[in-house]
Amino acid sequence: MGRRSWVGAGLGAALVGAVGVGLLVAPAGAAAAPVLPPVSPEDLVSSVIAADAPALAGEVEVDNALGLPAVPGVPQLANGTSAIRVWSGGDGRGRVALPSADGERTLVSDGTTRWAYDSRERTVTRAPAGEGPDGPADAGPDAQDPTTAATQAVATLRQSSTVTVDGTAEVAGRAAYQLVLTPLPSERTLLREVRVAVDAETRLPLQLTVLAQGSGEPALQVGFSEIAYGPQDPSLFTFTPPPGTTVEDAPARDGAQPEGERQGTTVGDGWDRVMVGQAPQGGPGQQPEGEARPEGAPDLSALGTPVSGPWGTGRVITTAVATVIVTDDGRIAAGAVPQQVLTEALAR
Amino acid sequence: MTALETRTPTRTPTRTTAPLGRLAAAEVRWVLRRPRTLVLLGLLALVAVALGIGIALTGGPGGDGDGDGPGLVAQVAGNGLVLPIAALGLALTLLLPLTVATASADAIAGEAAHGTLRGLLLAPVGRARLVVMKAAGVVTVAVLAVLVVAVVGVLTGLVVVGGPGGTMVTLSGTTLGLGEALGRVALVAGWTVVQLLAVAAVALAVSAFTEHPLVVLAAVLGGLIVFGVLAAIPSLEWLQPLLLTSGWGAGTDALRDPLPLGDLASSSLRALVYVVLGSVVTVVRMRRRDG
Repeated sequence: MGRRSWVGAGLGAALVGAVGVGLLVAPAGAAAAPVLPPVSPEDLVSSVIAADAPALAGEVEVDNALGLPAVPGVPQLANGTSAIRVWSGGDGRGRVALPSADGERTLVSDGTTRWAYDSRERTVTRAPAGEGPDGPADAGPDAQDPTTAATQAVATLRQSSTVTVDGTAEVAGRAAYQLVLTPLPSERTLLREVRVAVDAETRLPLQLTVLAQGSGEPALQVGFSEIAYGPQDPSLFTFTPPPGTTVEDAPARDGAQPEGERQGTTVGDGWDRVMVGQAPQGGPGQQPEGEARPEGAPDLSALGTPVSGPWGTGRVITTAVATVIVTDDGRIAAGAVPQQVLTEALAR
Repeated sequence: MTALETRTPTRTPTRTTAPLGRLAAAEVRWVLRRPRTLVLLGLLALVAVALGIGIALTGGPGGDGDGDGPGLVAQVAGNGLVLPIAALGLALTLLLPLTVATASADAIAGEAAHGTLRGLLLAPVGRARLVVMKAAGVVTVAVLAVLVVAVVGVLTGLVVVGGPGGTMVTLSGTTLGLGEALGRVALVAGWTVVQLLAVAAVALAVSAFTEHPLVVLAAVLGGLIVFGVLAAIPSLEWLQPLLLTSGWGAGTDALRDPLPLGDLASSSLRALVYVVLGSVVTVVRMRRRDG
């Protein structure tokens, strides 16, 4: 081998290296918007409601810039990007894996039982299927004619927002319609726009993007980064508690939740709706934005900045898309609104 | 050589090159006879044993090991077949690169320091063959080091820690049989070897430029620490895909049940890029080296 060919080989290898680095560094790249037949928002919403849940395997990427305080055990809530692996049998059975750096939380629904496994604690939590929050939501739309339901839903939305199908996009390699909700100018809200990308073929919502005022980057983007439709291995949807783990039955959550909601009232409607309620006194309670830990009050009192006004004194917690005020006398006001709207609601 | 041949055209054609296998075998024998190589391999075996004994003594299934240990270590309690994977992950952070860097430092810079590299360079062996031969020694050390950790880890896991009937409980809560569990261990071992080859290629490249073995060790370990620091700076997040170490957490993926291959594949690709770049630099430099 002559010196010349060695130089050639060296250059070639260097090229391979450069291309390899390029492949590693290059982002997936935004593909050109696919061309799809136009569709009205009503038709799009009704087709989404009418569509059957398909069998699929996919990876959901959560890009979170909500500015929520970090909640232990649920890294997906804190700022940053996380991936969730999802399998669905299309018939109420499914598996969700929430991987973390050195552990994983696995949720399996085999049609009759929901299992939750936490690899760090090595505990299995068991709950009968259908009583969780997803049950009624799945059953609800089926009871109604999809077209009527869609027309009603879009009409309700139109009272406070502009609803459009704004072009197309490619999400996880699938051509998708973009359904865009924009608050009307009269709405006093922190949100600028909510986009839902809907698979043009299967009419499955693929991506949810929430844009807040004053920021070009999405405050929250949840969507498939990979998706493959098709029947899944049935063994994915069964769960046998591994040896050496403790199995416990889930505490009845549905008793505590309606209680918290019963105490709350809403002020206003549309985008500037404000929930006003009583802060939980140590017991489990659910806040509309889901940022309170179950232990509630002690955590909240450490967060936020003090505010006061004619309505009293308290602490305000501001995130990119929502504001929460916890008053010292135990009231909570929360909404996707600026602080001023909350104080007005509290002053009533 | 050509001049020699033209002067003696009647000479019967004899073999002018030694078979590569024989050269490599000689190099491997030479590497394996070094006490420091054997000591490092023994230390690596001790890592797995110490880890297993420590876990068997302190923790148990359902004990208070709820994520207290670093990384996967808490998972090993009562689940012995996780031990080799956890031990490989721990050793990959520093001990395995140290072993490979030592071998690479001895391979070229060490020979130069002793003055024996000159003899090798003068020998009628092509420079590329010399590099291949030296690399064979380093690759052997890398493979042996990973094998030692994996095999000792499996044995310690099964004997000392024990497990639920020779099975492995994955992070996803599923139970794998012995065969599949060993397959997962083999996968992590192979992936670790690829990552170590990337370290070895860079170490050999450094080794080709210096005659002080310590410089190679300092460069490799310092480089690993610098990579760790760079990865921890949030504003340098765009640099992450370039850093070899940023994919080193992917070994954990072998413990998830539907096996996600994405991160393992991308970190292996990244390692191969390092291998190519390191080899090219080494060969180009050794072509011109004269002592």
